[in-house]
Amino acid sequence: MEKRKQLFCTLLVPVLSSCAILTACGSKGAEDGKTVIELVQYKPEAVSVFEALEEEFNATHDDIELKIESPNDAMTIMKTRFIREEYPDILGIGGDVNFSGFVDAGILADVSGYEGLSSVKQAYIDMLDNLEYVPTEGTYGVPYVANAAGILYNRDMFREHGWEIPETWDELLALCEQIKSEGIQPLYFGFKDTWTCLAPWNALAVDLADADICRQVNAGTANFSEAYREAAEKMLELVQYSQDSPMAYGYNDACTAFANGESAMYTIGSYAVPQIKSVNPEMNIDSFVMPGCDSAEDNILNSGIDLVFCVTEQCENKEAAYEVLDFLLEHENIQFYLDEQNAVPCKNETFSLAPEVDGMKTYIEEGRMADYQDHYYPAEMSVDAQIQTFLINQDVDAFLEKFDKDWLRYNRDIIRKVEKYEAGH
Amino acid sequence: MNKKKINNQQRTFLLMTIPVLILFFCFNTLPLIKGVIYSFTNFKGYGDFEWVGLRNYIDLFGDARVGKSYLFTFKLALASTIVVNIVSLVLALGLNSKIKFKSAMRGLYFVPNILGALVVGYIFNYFFTYILPAFSKMLGGSGNSMLASTKWAWVAIMIVCAWQSVAMNTIIYISGLQTVPEDVYEAGSIDGATGWAKFKNLTLPLILPFVTINMVLCMKNFLMVFDQIMALTKGGPAQSTESISYLIYNNGMSGGQFGFQSANAVIFFIMIVAISVGQMTFMNKKEEQL
Repeated sequence: MEKRKQLFCTLLVPVLSSCAILTACGSKGAEDGKTVIELVQYKPEAVSVFEALEEEFNATHDDIELKIESPNDAMTIMKTRFIREEYPDILGIGGDVNFSGFVDAGILADVSGYEGLSSVKQAYIDMLDNLEYVPTEGTYGVPYVANAAGILYNRDMFREHGWEIPETWDELLALCEQIKSEGIQPLYFGFKDTWTCLAPWNALAVDLADADICRQVNAGTANFSEAYREAAEKMLELVQYSQDSPMAYGYNDACTAFANGESAMYTIGSYAVPQIKSVNPEMNIDSFVMPGCDSAEDNILNSGIDLVFCVTEQCENKEAAYEVLDFLLEHENIQFYLDEQNAVPCKNETFSLAPEVDGMKTYIEEGRMADYQDHYYPAEMSVDAQIQTFLINQDVDAFLEKFDKDWLRYNRDIIRKVEKYEAGH
Repeated sequence: MNKKKINNQQRTFLLMTIPVLILFFCFNTLPLIKGVIYSFTNFKGYGDFEWVGLRNYIDLFGDARVGKSYLFTFKLALASTIVVNIVSLVLALGLNSKIKFKSAMRGLYFVPNILGALVVGYIFNYFFTYILPAFSKMLGGSGNSMLASTKWAWVAIMIVCAWQSVAMNTIIYISGLQTVPEDVYEAGSIDGATGWAKFKNLTLPLILPFVTINMVLCMKNFLMVFDQIMALTKGGPAQSTESISYLIYNNGMSGGQFGFQSANAVIFFIMIVAISVGQMTFMNKKEEQL
């Protein structure tokens, strides 16, 4: 009997200690009386900006300690932490389908009581509200910066050859022909990284399809086969002007090639500029809106929320979290972020914008913008890979048919939710 | 007196195994059970979830993408297993014979095994994207990257997988070849066995246990191929190189299909166990004992 007890005790030790280790990971207490606010943000390219902001904040605040983490592949890391029911205080994420999912799961807190929200442009708050699967009363994030996607071009090269900025689809194709005839590569794609397939796709789709097409489909009043046909056909036309075998090269390869002047244009968002400039800091880049329509007035800028700060429901000290948000929303901090990251601000103040978005400025000021279509696509549907498949097979009908079929399958829980909501209202 | 001694010994062994068993249970069995439970839900990985019964399992069999990933993974695993075992057996035979710089060469051939799969993947990625196309252009070929072609991308992945795992298998074969006693060969040579006949009738039957081990290990490893895909193609082009593990990770974690992919993982687990057990029993029947 005595033996057994002893045995039991020896066995208990590793079990208890492993439990202790597990709980230790989960706890995050205040050290020396300070409130610790943990911010996890998903933009690896902005690490240096956030490191500087973190240092600045901690130097000026005695009662709050801000910890900013910018892990690689942050979305997966956040979700893995959520599985363990471990929540950071503030999330810095994109205004996309992940945001919708987090709102739906009740992870994010309603921040409509936060004063700083009133300084954010209404257009971006609307954009955020539109992302919710079913409309809610609250607002679940503070839009910080947006990005814009269209076509980046090599300003020096355009000036040298006297090329004009195209304003309609035909002008764009004519320009590509012109560039090609002068022996220069018009476009360079990095389709090996599937997500880059979405950049021209989004830019064309906002021009040619309704901004809320995904909601229409969820409500059962439209289908993609009709709504996306023109975008799909034009996408194929555009890809004709790519380098040889665009599927062989990734995002980095394409940025490098564009930076080295191997192509005149690159269909990607403003977010790619830091990457391009890291290869060629002297490069003179500008951008224009994807002219997907037949008349210039119909074109719409593809712009979406690139970074939105959300306070989690589990955050114990909301006041402290708001103080961090106040700090981040200070004019010079936003300006600092814009200068480094070449982004578009969501705050309703005058900032100096990077010269790389010159060509989009009027659209931004007039608010002629629509959110990225892919912000509504469920991640598990892998629309990026479907577009890549489509570009290889060049079959519009098969692509659209599969799109419609997959959409209903991957969104059935959401569609049911929408139906339930519609029935109740 | 005698009884106590045995008890003591038993206790020592128990003390050695039970903590490990508990840790194994906590970190392996428990997550497995949890995974099985989640496979009956529409859990996204966070937030609340509903029970959906067998819906995930039914969907699995109707999902073209999952089906494609199974086909791809089995194709890759079979081809790689065969290639790796042939190459490493040939290498082992060479490295086990009396040649110069034997130990240096053995060390050299082991290097790929020490390198991380991701590092190797990225190096080969560069090789396939820039060097090989340039080379084929020089020889008058098309200069297309293998990784960009839906037909050839899996071959590129197989090459990388094989390149790396040949090292370990060669070592296992070398140790196998060293267990074959010299007198068997002597007896064989009296009967006139040389070359191919010697290999087929003497060496191969005697190292069959090692062939079994290598086959099972290879098959299992390649069925769970992940790093190479991550580094080389990320499942592309056109989703033609999505392995099962990659799909489970990608759609389960970041894609919000935790429940569905848990069901996939359960099926995959059962399959790997079945294949390994099947391989073992089949090969065990063929093994010979001296």
